[in-house]
Amino acid sequence: MARRYWNINLEEMLEAGVHFGHGTRKWNPRMAPYISAKRKGIHITNLTRTARFLSEACDLLFDAASKGKQFLIVGTKNKAADSVARAAIKARCHYVNKKWLGGMLTNWPTTETRLHKFRDLRTEQKTGGLNRLPKRDAAMLKRQLSRLQTYLGGIKYMTRLPDIVIIVDQQEEYTALRECITLGIPTICLIDTNCDPDLADISIPANDDAIASIRLILNKLVVAICEGRSSYIRNP
Amino acid sequence: MAATAAAAAASPLSSFTIHSPIPSLSFFFPKPSKPFSLRRSFRSLSLAPKSKASNIDTSFFDELDPEEDVVFDPPTPPEGFIPPSSFDDGPEETEDEIAAAYEELYGPAYSGVSVLGNDVRVMDSKVKRTSAFGKIKKEKVKDGFDERVVQVRRVTKVVKGGKQLHFRAIVVVGDKQGRVGVGVGKAKEVITAVQKSATNARRNIISIPMTKYLTFPHRSEGDYGAATVMLRPAAPGTGVIAGGAVRIVLEMAGVENALGKQLGSKNALNNARATVVAVQKMKQFREVAQERGIPMEELWK
Repeated sequence: MARRYWNINLEEMLEAGVHFGHGTRKWNPRMAPYISAKRKGIHITNLTRTARFLSEACDLLFDAASKGKQFLIVGTKNKAADSVARAAIKARCHYVNKKWLGGMLTNWPTTETRLHKFRDLRTEQKTGGLNRLPKRDAAMLKRQLSRLQTYLGGIKYMTRLPDIVIIVDQQEEYTALRECITLGIPTICLIDTNCDPDLADISIPANDDAIASIRLILNKLVVAICEGRSSYIRNP
Repeated sequence: MAATAAAAAASPLSSFTIHSPIPSLSFFFPKPSKPFSLRRSFRSLSLAPKSKASNIDTSFFDELDPEEDVVFDPPTPPEGFIPPSSFDDGPEETEDEIAAAYEELYGPAYSGVSVLGNDVRVMDSKVKRTSAFGKIKKEKVKDGFDERVVQVRRVTKVVKGGKQLHFRAIVVVGDKQGRVGVGVGKAKEVITAVQKSATNARRNIISIPMTKYLTFPHRSEGDYGAATVMLRPAAPGTGVIAGGAVRIVLEMAGVENALGKQLGSKNALNNARATVVAVQKMKQFREVAQERGIPMEELWK
């Protein structure tokens, strides 16, 4: 895996507040190698290690995208939901914005059934089939459609299981992480001081509370994916 | 220094580095002093039961050493490097553009609309035909595995209205070439239960180290729950001498000569699982070949 330059500078990360951890009482002792100091009752992560992990994650994403792999970004915190959606659309990846339904990957055949239903409802809506039904049925179908749109809207282009999954907060998306582990899908996870770094394949110690820090890291990863994709388009 | 640094880091593997190997052995095989190589072997071992480990490329972690002082030295930026804009700035894309871009990459999939003119119903071949008339004909998955039912039992759950009956089937799946799996499945009908347990069995398959004479390389014991099983290799011509569940597991694995005894409980499922545990404890040919430094062909003589 060739190492490339990803424009990661520590000053930018300090500005965004990537180095802040959670409170001292809530830490996970397995994060000890990545914590550099304790200030005012909050752990401070070691930014050199974060930068190193981030650049390696970007290298991995670049390589995978240049081979044409599919990605999935999972982020369900209310603060981060919007930026996750925009980042994924910019990078042309699948994403999960709202609640991660249990069994989305491990119970993929059932998720596929729901996606079929979503597709049928969309085609009916486009062709105006909903207006021909009585009002009550039309209202029910519209409600179903909006529900499917919120939960499955980001994965409606997913035809098979993704090859790499990016998870924004490990505590919040524990079920998603567990599913990826049982299926053997490599994961890149944003780890805070109260998370377990051994679960994910590449764990980036960072702050998962501040929107600025999530956006910064997502930005770098998205840039890596875009570059990989463009190199895939140039020579498949 | 490395040992104390390892002890300071709250890594669960730090104990491996503190207890150094026996001095006489370390004279012949110099053990690496850095802790990271042990971490790598532990990591590859811990990855094995999770998924199909043989095709996971763990070489990414060969150079990673969590205890060393990480110096962040990025490669120099190329000349004329303009930092790319964040995903928020830049021209707002209309929905059509986004849909077109996604469709180029993935095809229309489940979006219901097709901007580039592809067929919208492209994913329809995956829809299973619903039971329009009678039973759905499920095709038997042909992947070379034989199934044998070990036990089918009727189990009951007592609810307010009466007794709810289910069937629990235990099935052993194996090709006769060293791969077996044990599975359980419950359903309201026997056949469905057997099918469920067969799918479950195919999900946990292990491979048995077999010698040239279709027997084990050495004795082993395994337990699961209250069931203990002892397995012993035998000379060719002996056949499989074992009772009930153990015999079925060994036969489906392709082992021709072995002795097995159920020492603890006689529960079929637990004994089947205990044989699987016993077999997993046996030394694999690959590890022995690596340790002794001789090719695997020598071991099969």
